[in-house]
Amino acid sequence: MTFLHPLALVGLAAAAIPAFLHLLERRVPPEAEFPPLRYLSEAERQSARRLKLRHLLLLILRTALIVLIVLAAARPLVPAQASGGSLHEPTAVAVILDNSVSSGLVVDGRPALERLKAMARGSLARATASDRLWLVLADGVARAGTPEALLATVDSAGVSARRLDLTAAVREATRLVEGEPLPAREVLVVSDLQRTAFGPGRAAVLRGVRVLALAPPSRAPANRGVGVARVSDDAAVVGIVGTPGTGGEGGVAPVTLRIHGREIGHALAAPGSTASITLPRLGPGWWVGEAVLDADELRADDRRFLVWRVAAPAGVAALPSTGGGPFVAAALAVLEEAQRVRRGTEVAIGDRPEAGTLVSVVVPPAEPALIGQANRALAARGGRWRFASAGTPGPIAGAAVPAIAGLQVTRRYRIEAATGDAGRGTGNDTTVLATVNGEPWLVRDGRVLLLGSRLDTAWTVLPAAPAFVPFVDALVNRLARGEAPVSEVEGAPRVEFRTRGADTIGAIVFGLDPRESDLTPASPALVHEVLGADVLDDAAFAAARFAGAGRRDGSGLLLVLALLIALGELGVATRTR
Amino acid sequence: MADVQRIDLLDPAEVARFGGIEIVAQGVVEGFLSGIHRSPFRGFSVEFTEHRAYQPGDELRYLDWKILARADRLFVKQFEQETNLRAMILVDASRSMAWRGAPTRLTKRAYADRLAAALALILLRQRDATGLITFDEVVREVVPARVKAGQWARLVRGLVDTPDGRGTAAQAALVRLTSLLSRRGLVVLVSDLLFDRELALTALRYLRHRGHQVIVLHLMDPAEADLSGPPEVRYRDPESAASVVVRPRELARAYQATVRREVDAWRTACRRHGIAYHHILTDMPFGMALRLLA
Repeated sequence: MTFLHPLALVGLAAAAIPAFLHLLERRVPPEAEFPPLRYLSEAERQSARRLKLRHLLLLILRTALIVLIVLAAARPLVPAQASGGSLHEPTAVAVILDNSVSSGLVVDGRPALERLKAMARGSLARATASDRLWLVLADGVARAGTPEALLATVDSAGVSARRLDLTAAVREATRLVEGEPLPAREVLVVSDLQRTAFGPGRAAVLRGVRVLALAPPSRAPANRGVGVARVSDDAAVVGIVGTPGTGGEGGVAPVTLRIHGREIGHALAAPGSTASITLPRLGPGWWVGEAVLDADELRADDRRFLVWRVAAPAGVAALPSTGGGPFVAAALAVLEEAQRVRRGTEVAIGDRPEAGTLVSVVVPPAEPALIGQANRALAARGGRWRFASAGTPGPIAGAAVPAIAGLQVTRRYRIEAATGDAGRGTGNDTTVLATVNGEPWLVRDGRVLLLGSRLDTAWTVLPAAPAFVPFVDALVNRLARGEAPVSEVEGAPRVEFRTRGADTIGAIVFGLDPRESDLTPASPALVHEVLGADVLDDAAFAAARFAGAGRRDGSGLLLVLALLIALGELGVATRTR
Repeated sequence: MADVQRIDLLDPAEVARFGGIEIVAQGVVEGFLSGIHRSPFRGFSVEFTEHRAYQPGDELRYLDWKILARADRLFVKQFEQETNLRAMILVDASRSMAWRGAPTRLTKRAYADRLAAALALILLRQRDATGLITFDEVVREVVPARVKAGQWARLVRGLVDTPDGRGTAAQAALVRLTSLLSRRGLVVLVSDLLFDRELALTALRYLRHRGHQVIVLHLMDPAEADLSGPPEVRYRDPESAASVVVRPRELARAYQATVRREVDAWRTACRRHGIAYHHILTDMPFGMALRLLA
């Protein structure tokens, strides 16, 4: 048996009061003269057995009365059929309310989130002061609090732009409730149980922790969404995602591309496929577009932003004699033909910084004897990095140049900071863009880009790789100019630009996780396997939460018993006199 | 309502406030005698003295039928008792008699003194020789039975001069009494009878055997008849070191039954031996107590 207020059981010590008073009373009775003592002795002798029984009965009744009252004050919980008014033993409960993007699905005119919130609210409303509560929303943060505070949080929760990894959330919730020294521990998963919401691995539910999951709709809701939207080769590539099997004729859906609210083009695509919409010739600058689908029950994923920059081709001066080499010249020729570069003095590629150019891409001299000369030239330009001794071969690594990552470098010079800090940039304008064996290989140092290897097959396999031309393109148009790529981040759909001074050097496109568009629910078997949860419908879920079996406050019954015993005591105390 | 004003019918404690034993006894006797129409005590022989007119309530056996036949008028004959009735009043002066259950009541001893004085006055007015013996463990005062003037005063003084006793081993005193009562007569024992019943009855039976008419007045304070008191109390016998702890409320019923049995036992035993027995509570008006003896 468990108690809501176990501290009250300390009062059981009061059960000794009747016996104590009995002894105390016996110790110092008042004294009086009474001549017919012989009558008294005779009466007492004749009543001794009855009085002894009566005293014993009264002692038992009074002790039982105190014990019952103390037990009632401790509010014991007795098993009872679960119902709204039933109580439960103290429980550590983590409620995971999945208000991720998919909860914005409109079902029968109501957002699915409303159903989930109602179930979460019902769970929290049944909590008592003895329970320990957490609420986990789509942001993955476990909020501890009182039932009232968490109810307020549930009430104010809207559809989040975040995706909830249910596996991780259950794992974290299990860890929280497991740490509480309470008789019962539960994790209540109030979610649409998207199949795609399950992260890698299993939740590894600990023993003694019950995980209950609200059953999703039996039928997978139809949905389509824009999963990805990027600009490539003067065309917008739009990927369509959604619940498999969604769609009418052939499952295709019309996609519209808008730029600044103006429709630019249309295409048809089915979930799982991509559509390409040709961009019109646009002037230099940053452009923001929007890929839009026709509205369906889940509106949040029906549009996605895309950002790209239209820049004038960089004017490049390649100096074959001083380091450009034939591969660079060939790549520039291709790029020039594609109008990605033009001949000019904006960017120079050579084995020393060129005066009169905006940015110099410096490769090591072919002759080791000329390294010192190149370093002096770099120092004369105010450079803080220089070529050092020859480095060991290794693969290229670097987030700024993902296309060439992994390509082998066979010969290179180590690039180190003149100030001795070789591992990182030493100023605001310094960035290590790529490394080999953990040592800088491509470094941006103000208006100079240092490469640790010459762009020649004797130094690296890069010139022979398909990624070479895009690399040169990025080198002269993006890396040399200091522009960052457009990155995509999960969040409420919007665009944020990165600036340096007055220049815009990059953009962040916030969009929804495309996995949210697939509304296919996980099977109960998968839920049980991954989350260790029992999948229950609304009624069963309501009945099973908080230790499953409903418990009722037994104090009322105890008080009735105490009243009966009090009446019995009164009867014994008065009628047997 | 007129009866209520009679002193013999008032509460004994209130009557005691009128004065000493003599005043109270005289008042009680005056009231008592005015309320009856014949002598309460009859001797062994009587002698005709005079006629008087019949009054309602007079016993018909004293009607003079001859006068009724001759003159058709109702007269009753009046007799005068002989003076050879010897009455001895025995008053228990033991320690237990000096107890009362409430300050508003007389002690049993005070009640016994006043009752004995009143009884003695009635007897003396009938010219019966009346004596007094007080006793506790031993015989304390002995006033021989006389009928001469001043006898009542001596009796009263005997009562007043007897202090409250210490013990109550009255059996020995009762045996001693039997030797003091050589001539047969009326013996009235006023006591709370808190001593061994069989031994006491032995002495009383002996008196009966000697030809005495014996009357036992069993005095009891109302608090002795019905047990009450604090939730728990140690009751101590004033005449011995014995004590017992009781809870009066839970023992009251059994105690009441015990007292009832004890009184019944006394009454039955006395009746069996031709002894008159009367149970008197100390809140009973003296007149009613005397009426018991009539």
